[in-house]
Amino acid sequence: MPYARRDQLPIPPKDAQAHNTVCQYCTVGCGYKVYTWPVGRLGGVKTDQNAFGVDLSQQVPLAGQTFSETMHSIITKKDGQQYHVVIVPAKDSPINLKGDHSSRGATNALATWSDTRATQERLKYPLLRIGDQFQVVTWEEALEVLGRVLKGIREKYTDDAIAVKCFDHGGSGSGFENNYGVGNLFFKGFSVKHISIHNRPAYNSEVWGSRERGVHELNYDASDARLADTLVLWGANPYENASVFYTEHMLPNFQGATVAEKQQNLPKGEPVEAAYLIVVDPRRTSSLTVAEQLAPGRTLHLRPNLGSDYILANAIARVIWERKYYDMGYLQNRTDLGKLEEYKAKSLKSDTTYADFMAQAVKITGVSQADIEKAADWIAKPKAGGAKRRTLTIYEKGMIWNMKNYDQIAAVVQMNVLSHNIGRPGTGVGRQGGHQEGYVRPPSPTPGSIFAGGPPVNVDKYITGGEGKLYWVIGTNPYLSTPNNQVYRKRVHERTTELSNFLGQSGEPASTRERVAKILEGLDQTGGLFLVVQDLYLTHTAQDAHLVLPASAWGEANQTSINCNSRLLRLYERFMDPPGEALQDWEICKRVGLKMAELYRQDGNTTEAAKFEFGKNWSKDEDVFLAGTAEFPNNKIPESEEATLPAECYTGVTYRFLQQQGQKGIRTPVRQDPASGKLVGTLRRYSTNFGTKDGKFSWYGTDDWEGYPAEVQKYLEGDMASQYPFWMTTGRSQLIWQTMYNDHLLPEKTSEVPMPYIELHPQDAQKLGIKGGDLVEVWNEEGNGIFMTHVTDAVKPGLIFALMYHHRGTSNSMTSGYTDPKTTIPWYKGTRVNVRKIAGALPDLQMNTSVLQQNKFD
Amino acid sequence: MVITRRRLVQILSGLTMASMTGVGRAQFWFAPSLTYPALKVGNTRNLQNNQPVYFNYPDSRAQGLLVKLGRPALLGVGSGRDIVAFSASCTHMGCGVQYKGGRMVCPCHFSMYDPAKAAQVYQGLASTSLPQIQLRIQANGDIFANAVNGLIWGRAKNI
Repeated sequence: MPYARRDQLPIPPKDAQAHNTVCQYCTVGCGYKVYTWPVGRLGGVKTDQNAFGVDLSQQVPLAGQTFSETMHSIITKKDGQQYHVVIVPAKDSPINLKGDHSSRGATNALATWSDTRATQERLKYPLLRIGDQFQVVTWEEALEVLGRVLKGIREKYTDDAIAVKCFDHGGSGSGFENNYGVGNLFFKGFSVKHISIHNRPAYNSEVWGSRERGVHELNYDASDARLADTLVLWGANPYENASVFYTEHMLPNFQGATVAEKQQNLPKGEPVEAAYLIVVDPRRTSSLTVAEQLAPGRTLHLRPNLGSDYILANAIARVIWERKYYDMGYLQNRTDLGKLEEYKAKSLKSDTTYADFMAQAVKITGVSQADIEKAADWIAKPKAGGAKRRTLTIYEKGMIWNMKNYDQIAAVVQMNVLSHNIGRPGTGVGRQGGHQEGYVRPPSPTPGSIFAGGPPVNVDKYITGGEGKLYWVIGTNPYLSTPNNQVYRKRVHERTTELSNFLGQSGEPASTRERVAKILEGLDQTGGLFLVVQDLYLTHTAQDAHLVLPASAWGEANQTSINCNSRLLRLYERFMDPPGEALQDWEICKRVGLKMAELYRQDGNTTEAAKFEFGKNWSKDEDVFLAGTAEFPNNKIPESEEATLPAECYTGVTYRFLQQQGQKGIRTPVRQDPASGKLVGTLRRYSTNFGTKDGKFSWYGTDDWEGYPAEVQKYLEGDMASQYPFWMTTGRSQLIWQTMYNDHLLPEKTSEVPMPYIELHPQDAQKLGIKGGDLVEVWNEEGNGIFMTHVTDAVKPGLIFALMYHHRGTSNSMTSGYTDPKTTIPWYKGTRVNVRKIAGALPDLQMNTSVLQQNKFD
Repeated sequence: MVITRRRLVQILSGLTMASMTGVGRAQFWFAPSLTYPALKVGNTRNLQNNQPVYFNYPDSRAQGLLVKLGRPALLGVGSGRDIVAFSASCTHMGCGVQYKGGRMVCPCHFSMYDPAKAAQVYQGLASTSLPQIQLRIQANGDIFANAVNGLIWGRAKNI
């Protein structure tokens, strides 16, 4: 049913408290303004009566200050008073120009905690599973139990039995402060090696294939998307997943609206025009079909067979080489020529004739030779007068979560570098990003891929294999998000239940020490697992936990993060109080550390105690932010040496500085100018050197096409081929954010996407007798899921797309346990499945949910 | 706090004041919370399937869109329950949405709304459905706009 609407909103008075912040959700990091003021007072419509400074008695001019129904809520602060909170797009941000915003950011106000709205589900107090039910306890009790269990485990089994799955990102209530807190606890206090990152089974970069070339994945600026001659979106769908980056920085370029900006910023006389767009994706994404509306004849869609993208990138690069669209001087001066030979031999197959090479590439990828050559022309063919073309290639999960992660990423980066499409205005090859970033931690246990001390251990398999005694999940919901999910969920449930059952048939020990002793006994005598979940909500994973720790969220603390498309560091100001006793993750980690230290001091073990006292001087958010700079190298260096800095380096930056900068922020890596000492940001990376020891780009020869890994190949052979006739790829929807941890509480979101869905081609739908809005079961040997159906030509016949995360289910149940042997990154986006219609229908669902085609704009 | 009878009267009179003036202590307003004009926007005899009619409502500065979908719609009126009307200002940034083959599409940032589902957003950057204009059909087929269910973009208050 349509949700309750509003036809008037409270106007923030002129003296409402105003805060700068950045959206908590996607990679783009749009700027927002927050206004809070006590309930009982209202501003007026006249310019001088409201905090917007806008005449609200008149209709606001087109694209003026947006103040939509979702941008207001009422919250309660610790003083017991109720406050209005209004969160609207900032008008002075270099990211969301003109006050643009997405449906994610527009709902920031609705997602704030309140006991009078659905967000009352937020965790307020620690919960301990006592008598197999969650019981509220104090922090003191929670820490005592946790500290003693941890100490018991590490003394008996070493830190290897402590496994962790934790966020490593910015935004979403984390940022540099919380990353530094967890990093200190697990790498300085404990020496944990079984740790994995929020959305995957190991502790790894998703782009070692780029980093080990000397290219950090965040190397371009949003303005490069406005200056580019050609944009390549490779396994990235920014219209849906980085919406404002697309609408404010790409779309105007397709329309030719940035020609004047190009003339102003590029060398005089260089030919400029509206951009070309190449989309490499198995689906006709909305990022493609929107551009088809605006720039007919200037878009190219390449649909490689699943997993074959690196062969396609190499084929485009071969054309670039064959047609001499490169600058030999650049390659000689800036790249490792010895390794270039390896690249030419293995990736470009210079010993094979062009005709033979192309025939092979066409066969493997399913992309025509004409399209491969057209793509090479659009990417690298010099412009009239000989000026180098400017191509910005943006890739994301379609490449990252592909088969052979390392080679995929290396191939696309090398394609761009071959034609010097990096380090110049309008160029770059980097991630779109999913969320924002904010990584600063002591050194992690895995330095790199198989070529650099790796690969990292697969912690999911460690846990599902029965290993480990304590599993600590922080700020992520792996019951939806990890691959081979059905196996994982069932096994973790089984192991946690085994421990719960051991604690007592009926009564359980009640004193803290006896309870801990019994837990340790259970861990020793059974295959049980003690599960700790630290999060905002009682997530699907938390339902199986023994201890739940309430974390505070975005807006409830001062936090800092960078966005991905400009590495723009800003301060996300605190504007409200957390629910109950919820704490920032850094503070929870500090308290756990101090508890461990206390327990070791009781034993007289001062050495061990000292390791856990990392946070003893942290009393406020900024203390942690500043402490993090200990991890960065000296940044008093000239601009020519920027490539030596970690992408997120911020040494010298303070909260006060960021407050003064406001929405303007500062782009990392930040340098302190050696002469003036002034803080200087980095607009674009690798104009002078690459991030290698000798400063030269380090080429890599990719593997040959080896077909599919055994976990997927099994479905292509014998009877299995007919039993599982569909390819399945997976991804996101513009309408919801991640696992819907906030969105599942907002009717604006749940009405639009009431359940997970698949996209099915009309021909397949007809064959199976399925209509839009019908329910289907999708399954294979790994798992099962029930989905609503959208019938659409976004997918090809024989290929379905499934929504990856939804609070009512995940396509990850069907994904295999395969990970790239070089990086331990999973292939979430390709496996084989079957589809069947569920008998009957849900008329209510069909009546209330749109099944119109989401990529059709004409 | 103990609510005395005197205090209760104060609260109730405060609420009455608020509902009369739209300001004061009342903090949540669910639409329709204002007094809207009744305006004739068409007649069923003149409506053809999928041929939208544009009109101004609730005042001359706000555009509405009336359409007969030819299939039942959520909150649709008429014998086929297929006549619906919405604010034509995109809830994202206020551009005029266009009716195209059973859908409403914003030409600025491409948000799309489904008119058969109370203008639910099914793609794009908009965060809420288009405000739905409540319709009443008289015996002679005249269609009247009665109220706006949702906030018209660019306003803090519809009227």
